[in-house]
Amino acid sequence: MSNGFDSAHFLAGFIAEAEDHLAATNANLLSIEAAAAKGQPTPRQVRELFRSLHTIKGLAAMVGIEPIVEVAHAMEAVLREADRAAGQLPRGAVELLLKGTRAIEQRVQALSKRKAVSPAPAALVSALAALRQSNAQASGAAASTSLPPELWSRLGAAEREQLVQGISAGRRAWLLRFVPTPARAAAGFNITAIRERLGTVAEVVKVVPQSVAATDDAPGGLAFALVILTDAADALVAEAGAVAPEELTAISLEETPAALEEGGPDDDAVDDPRHRGTVRVEVARLDDALEKLTALVVTQFRLGRATAALRAQGTDVRALAQVLAENGRQLRDLRASIMRARMVSVSELLERVPLVVRGLSQATGKSAHLEVAAGKAELDKAVAERIFPAIIHLVRNAVDHALEPPAERAAAGKPEVGAITVTCFERGGNQLELTIRDDGRGVDAVGVARRAGAPLPTSDEALLDLLTRPGLSTKTEVTTTSGRGVGMDVVKRIAVDELGGELAMRTTPGRGTAFTLRIPLSITIVDAFSFLCGGETFVVPVATVEEIQEVDLDRTVRGPDRRRTPRGESDRRRGTRGTDMIQRRGEAVPVLRLDEIFGLASPDTSHRKAIVVRRNGEPYAFAVDRMLGQQEVVVRPLEDRLVRVPGISGTTDLGDGRPTLVLDLIALGSKLMAESVTGAGA
Amino acid sequence: MIIACLRPQTGWVFTQAASGLEALERLSLKRFDVVVLDLNMPDIGGYEVIEFIRGQDKLRELPILVVTTRGDESSRTRALAAGATRFMTKPFAPEALLGEVRALVADGRPEAPP
Repeated sequence: MSNGFDSAHFLAGFIAEAEDHLAATNANLLSIEAAAAKGQPTPRQVRELFRSLHTIKGLAAMVGIEPIVEVAHAMEAVLREADRAAGQLPRGAVELLLKGTRAIEQRVQALSKRKAVSPAPAALVSALAALRQSNAQASGAAASTSLPPELWSRLGAAEREQLVQGISAGRRAWLLRFVPTPARAAAGFNITAIRERLGTVAEVVKVVPQSVAATDDAPGGLAFALVILTDAADALVAEAGAVAPEELTAISLEETPAALEEGGPDDDAVDDPRHRGTVRVEVARLDDALEKLTALVVTQFRLGRATAALRAQGTDVRALAQVLAENGRQLRDLRASIMRARMVSVSELLERVPLVVRGLSQATGKSAHLEVAAGKAELDKAVAERIFPAIIHLVRNAVDHALEPPAERAAAGKPEVGAITVTCFERGGNQLELTIRDDGRGVDAVGVARRAGAPLPTSDEALLDLLTRPGLSTKTEVTTTSGRGVGMDVVKRIAVDELGGELAMRTTPGRGTAFTLRIPLSITIVDAFSFLCGGETFVVPVATVEEIQEVDLDRTVRGPDRRRTPRGESDRRRGTRGTDMIQRRGEAVPVLRLDEIFGLASPDTSHRKAIVVRRNGEPYAFAVDRMLGQQEVVVRPLEDRLVRVPGISGTTDLGDGRPTLVLDLIALGSKLMAESVTGAGA
Repeated sequence: MIIACLRPQTGWVFTQAASGLEALERLSLKRFDVVVLDLNMPDIGGYEVIEFIRGQDKLRELPILVVTTRGDESSRTRALAAGATRFMTKPFAPEALLGEVRALVADGRPEAPP
């Protein structure tokens, strides 16, 4: 039925929804494979798989993408039969189903790039069909129950399993009947209501409609049989089901194997709207809301300034200040709500990682056991999208370079299966820490130094610096898997330069390596200090500042010459001199002068503040003129690549309508230090 | 939902059911001229609903119009085999649906409503 319907409008929706279902499909397939290795049945996963593919097929049919319909249909048929066989998949099925998923993914990707969709791979479709024939004989016997056969036969495999397991676990199973009548319907007692009422005290396993003789008691000639599992008291269950307690029939287990009745899964319950407590929102719309909130935050700040001005004139502003504080709290709450809407779960983000490891293990002949522990951590969508390629790269490296082949591992007295763990947790200060750890051979410092043409690094930090030099990994480590894609320099660029996070590494020869990414959970609004330097106002995120301390520049210690400004002009003003150092709890900390770095006029004052930041454990101090205050600022990133400057993460508006630079002192410090080192070595 | 919006234009009386089971319940308690049925429903599936309707003596002749996103041939065949009278694929223009319903109601009764 075309009716002039333009499928292009629906394509974006189709792609988004298909991607969700594909992610779920991959996750379920891998969990089935893992369970199969331990000989565990997986009826739930098979059922979920079936639903995902059924939905993909339906959606693809709606937008008219026949190749996807064809592949999904072939996969769905295999799963339908597996579901009837209590979730048992034939040998080799997971492999083919993964291939099928990949085939659908490729076609969805082609659609999203507006490319032509290639036809369904005929070999794969027929291999899937062949699987069904071999599976047709494999149907196991299962435990049965005292349910009448006409009802038992209406239960799908998963429902039977649910019932049997529930009873085995000590829950009570009841069969009760609901007979609709006009009077009951008028009183609001319809099957939907009964089901919902029962749902509060029990698990409704199945509702089966049954024809009965039409009598005065059952004028419609219809009754519903409800099969439920519960821990609640009989009286409660009876009341919820609107029946007398004696009308509850207990269901017990029977040891005899069930005959193979024809009773398929209720394969149409795919689009249950009640299972969908979510709404898809384009990120652009959330950004729009955030943009409007930005304006509000700025207005609030201006109100604060105006109030302060009134107070300075002697006006009593207590009432106003109270309202202002309340308003500030509400704005923060609103911001938090919008930010939450933008958050995606890290577990979901990492759903594809097992697939990557699986593919790599096959390609490299190494066996790897992957453990992902992401907990409930969440990440802003924008951050998630940026960091994902870095995570994938680190995981690839772990399998490809770090893990030894099984024989080598055995020779070294290690388990043949390598272990890779991806863990993540939320740290304080709006940061997420993600660690990718392996128990492989460790980074070969000698080899890296040789390839980089540098002296042997003496610490993990120095080794990481070499590893993340542009071009190092791609030039010499070309293998089938990791040779392409992003190198370690890109991992660093994403985590450190783009996201303002950190990358750290710990490696032990023969024992393994751990890469740790510390990245901000969100990158839009930050709590920041504002300060004055060389007559200009700047802000710096509070999270990056370790301490602010007094510093008397005339009493600093001169260190060796390590510092040059980006412009190479440091020598201009004071002649050649080394980096200033201050004493901080017995530690000498280099002091960098922001006014010189930015070429600003320096007022003639010796009393200054120093903002201390720490990068990879090493402290730096930046001398500034005066601290102005602390507030939340909205960072507008400098999107234009041409004007992107290391050390500047964006601009913000402090309420005066002028853009203020948001500094990334950690990046600035490392850049200056790196330059001074290169400069000295040249 | 969409279908209920058509009410003012047609003067027909609509009853909505939240699920396949509820549809069966409503059909058992009142007389209807036509059923417009989705295949994707919570609880029991569309095919099962059709088969059940056809298994009831008094509903054997009730016209069933299946409206679904499943455009593939096997869904159509299966729905028609189960006893559906007509099969329509979403999305569709409201007029197309009205036309189908009108035709089904006219088939079932000598005088069609205006």
